[in-house]
Amino acid sequence: MDIIHEILKYIGLVFILIGSIFLFLGALGIYRMPDLYNRLQAGTKASTLGAMSVILGVGLLQPFWLIKLIIIIIFIGFANPLSSHALARASYRAGIKPCCDKEIDSYGKAVEKQLKKIQKKLKNLTD
Amino acid sequence: MLKKLIVFLLIATLGYTLAVTLSSIPIGKNRIGSIENPETVAAYYLDKSPNDLKVANTITAVVVNFRGFDTLGEVSVLFLAATGLASILYRKEEEEEEENIRHISHRLNLPSSSLVQTGAKILFPLIIVLGIYVFIHGHLTPGGGFQGGAIIATGFLLMLVSYKGFETNHKVMVWLESLAGLGFVGVGVFGLVKYGSFLQNTGWTGNLNDLISGGLIPLIYIFVGIKVATELTNILDILLNIKPRKK
Repeated sequence: MDIIHEILKYIGLVFILIGSIFLFLGALGIYRMPDLYNRLQAGTKASTLGAMSVILGVGLLQPFWLIKLIIIIIFIGFANPLSSHALARASYRAGIKPCCDKEIDSYGKAVEKQLKKIQKKLKNLTD
Repeated sequence: MLKKLIVFLLIATLGYTLAVTLSSIPIGKNRIGSIENPETVAAYYLDKSPNDLKVANTITAVVVNFRGFDTLGEVSVLFLAATGLASILYRKEEEEEEENIRHISHRLNLPSSSLVQTGAKILFPLIIVLGIYVFIHGHLTPGGGFQGGAIIATGFLLMLVSYKGFETNHKVMVWLESLAGLGFVGVGVFGLVKYGSFLQNTGWTGNLNDLISGGLIPLIYIFVGIKVATELTNILDILLNIKPRKK
């Protein structure tokens, strides 16, 4: 029993190390990346994985908390990408352009189509 | 150059003041005193709340029991803030026509994506449950009425932001808010009539760490939680849907 505990402890420490490395890379990405979308993706992807890994490591160190912590991991995996998706979408629609590649913009065409539809609706409403 | 000098001087003054203040604080020294030999009021609270009131969370005991009247004032300040906001944002009809069109267009231009809508639908009941959990366990775990109410209001904010058509039922909200406020005052009057002072706790307190313990403290925190939740939701609703007055 003690040996299992010891092994779990070391696995948990490795998970915490991996998680903190990812969190550091996420912070570095937010500092280093050129525009909002790159920063969002660096921040979200790295910090989601980092937070999950750290929490799982803590769960392995303290098996008594493991079920609660797994629920928290599921919540982070659910809510973090969702919020970054909403942020990126809202900032695109608010008119913030991606910095470097100006030629490929398939989402912009879709947005324009939608906006035209909405403007037609608005005209019908105001008339 | 002069600007930088002024900024530097300001920061230096601020830093000096902070350093002087911080150096006069005896960090690490026990200033509360022991429970057997209380030197300050903090030791009195730390002794009284788990032993006499059977409330595990001392902060809740202080907020709701020892200075419950002050909490009643805080709740009414929040109520006044909500009322003031509503009265300021309520505009007359002449200015409203053009504004209204802009308002509609603003809401139509930003339909949130189906991902966000699905996520909000899944998260909303969970957030409400968490908020209710926080204010029901206010006397056992960190948190309480104000925090739980704020959590519930964030759930409603999520729904208001992600669904265009989502509307809260104003009548139900106003009734809940008024009943919760009345309940708080009613608990106070109950103490006044039965024990001789406003918001006096009952003699019955139950056991430490039980869900139903601490006399009237959980009841008061449930009222505070409902009141804060409805008030904050009303504020958010007003801010997001400024509607014209109908004649």
